[in-house]
Amino acid sequence: MKRKFQRNILILLTPALVSALLLAVWETWVRVRDVKEYLLPAPSAILAALLDDPGRFAEGARLSLQAAIGGLLLASLGAFILAVAMAHSRALERALYPPALALKVTPIVAVAPLFTIWFGFGLAPKVLIAAMITFFPMLVNSVVGLRSIDPRAHDFLRTINASTWQVFWRLRVPSSLPFVFAGLRISVPLSLIGAVVAEFLSGSDGIGQLILIANGDFDTPVLFGAIFVLAAMGILLTASVALVERKVLFWYQSSVRL
Amino acid sequence: MTNTSRDSDVPPEPVVEVRHLSHRYPVGNETVGALTGVDLTVNDGEFVAVIGPSGCGKTTLLSIIAGLLPPTGGQVSVFGSDTRAARRSQALGLVTQDPGLLPWLDVASNVLLTLDITGPHDGADEYVTELLERVGISRFARYYPGQLSGGMRQRVALARALVHHPRLLLMDEPFGALDEISREEMRFELLKVWEQEQMSVVFVTHSIREAVLLADRVVVLTGQPGRVKDVIEIDLDRPRTASLEDSPRYLSLLADVRGLLVSETDRSDLVHAIPGNRR
Repeated sequence: MKRKFQRNILILLTPALVSALLLAVWETWVRVRDVKEYLLPAPSAILAALLDDPGRFAEGARLSLQAAIGGLLLASLGAFILAVAMAHSRALERALYPPALALKVTPIVAVAPLFTIWFGFGLAPKVLIAAMITFFPMLVNSVVGLRSIDPRAHDFLRTINASTWQVFWRLRVPSSLPFVFAGLRISVPLSLIGAVVAEFLSGSDGIGQLILIANGDFDTPVLFGAIFVLAAMGILLTASVALVERKVLFWYQSSVRL
Repeated sequence: MTNTSRDSDVPPEPVVEVRHLSHRYPVGNETVGALTGVDLTVNDGEFVAVIGPSGCGKTTLLSIIAGLLPPTGGQVSVFGSDTRAARRSQALGLVTQDPGLLPWLDVASNVLLTLDITGPHDGADEYVTELLERVGISRFARYYPGQLSGGMRQRVALARALVHHPRLLLMDEPFGALDEISREEMRFELLKVWEQEQMSVVFVTHSIREAVLLADRVVVLTGQPGRVKDVIEIDLDRPRTASLEDSPRYLSLLADVRGLLVSETDRSDLVHAIPGNRR
């Protein structure tokens, strides 16, 4: 028991120490070499910028996170529903795959301005762009997942005369979950990219807008502050997905740990 | 366990009747024969073992009887009707080598699922507990399949197959992946359950010993495509016990079955051939 506790402490301590060391080297480098702040601010200057107006960062993070999560949920749900249809019929899959692929390979930055024209500057275009960028990985993983049923389990359910509907809910949907979560792990960082790109282009609000303004002002400490906040958001989202995954997929042996 | 209602409506005809069955499956642009001209009858309450080398179509035969695969030629009737109708009667039980338990459900829920498929039942939980007790795994009711040994999983598969008191239990190398000790245990466990349930069993196996030890009749399949080489009546007393394996009659039956298999093919891997035939 005690040994396990010690090991856990060690697991947490090592990366914390490494991060602290990196920051210390950074800080020292900037001070000793007297690096200009607009080129590379010291960690202490970034921290000062963050603490100078924490509300601004928090509000930006909230709005960007809202767009990212909204887009991710929309894409996951839409992709799963479409995946059910595609897993059901090869013809439908063949018909729907090319447009889905076209959506995937088109650079999101090129399409995003259109969304601003159509949907204005509010939450809607941001959610849609985040949804667009996460849609394809969710779709592909859902289709593969829905097809990945154990044929033995399927045979058994058929011999007891289970309906297609029962097979779907009892076997197909649970079998797809490991793949859906794999898709989510890919999509979480993408959804943040989508949200920030949308904010870059519309300049309305969120962390993206914050970066845009700081960039215009040559306010590099704020710029770095925004980057750190974005990184923290990514970690938070990924960790949340991993936590839910571990709860839901407790039965899945090769479930990847965060 | 009495089955009075069943006894009254048991038709006099056999439980399974296979006539001139053949099956071909597509490989690329051609079709390959899996079975040809197979005749097989399973009477009510009879235990029939089907044995043969890898690739002789044993699993295909079982899948056809289970109504999972429509045959490309010949007739199959189960319970006096076609296999689809037989499936709808929910009087079939299926146990395969890899039983396909649902890994996200615990043992009790895996068994309960079979009951749920037909709709809500009163006292379902008590019934599941009783079933788990019968196959000796009630202590593991809250375990997940991934936490169980292969033998334990097969017990769950057996309990699950027994839920609706099947008239016909179909088993595809159910003990093939087990260690020798669990296999020995499961064989006698199965015989006990079979005697209680008075059901018919079609038991596909690679093991000559297993076939002779368990069955009333052993159907020897050979060749590619598979056909019935011979059917051997196993006139050993029941209930069968482990001591039977020393009896001269058992040994001579064993030799008969082995002779049939070896004369047809010179493969040396008959007993321990690779599991998982093509379908």
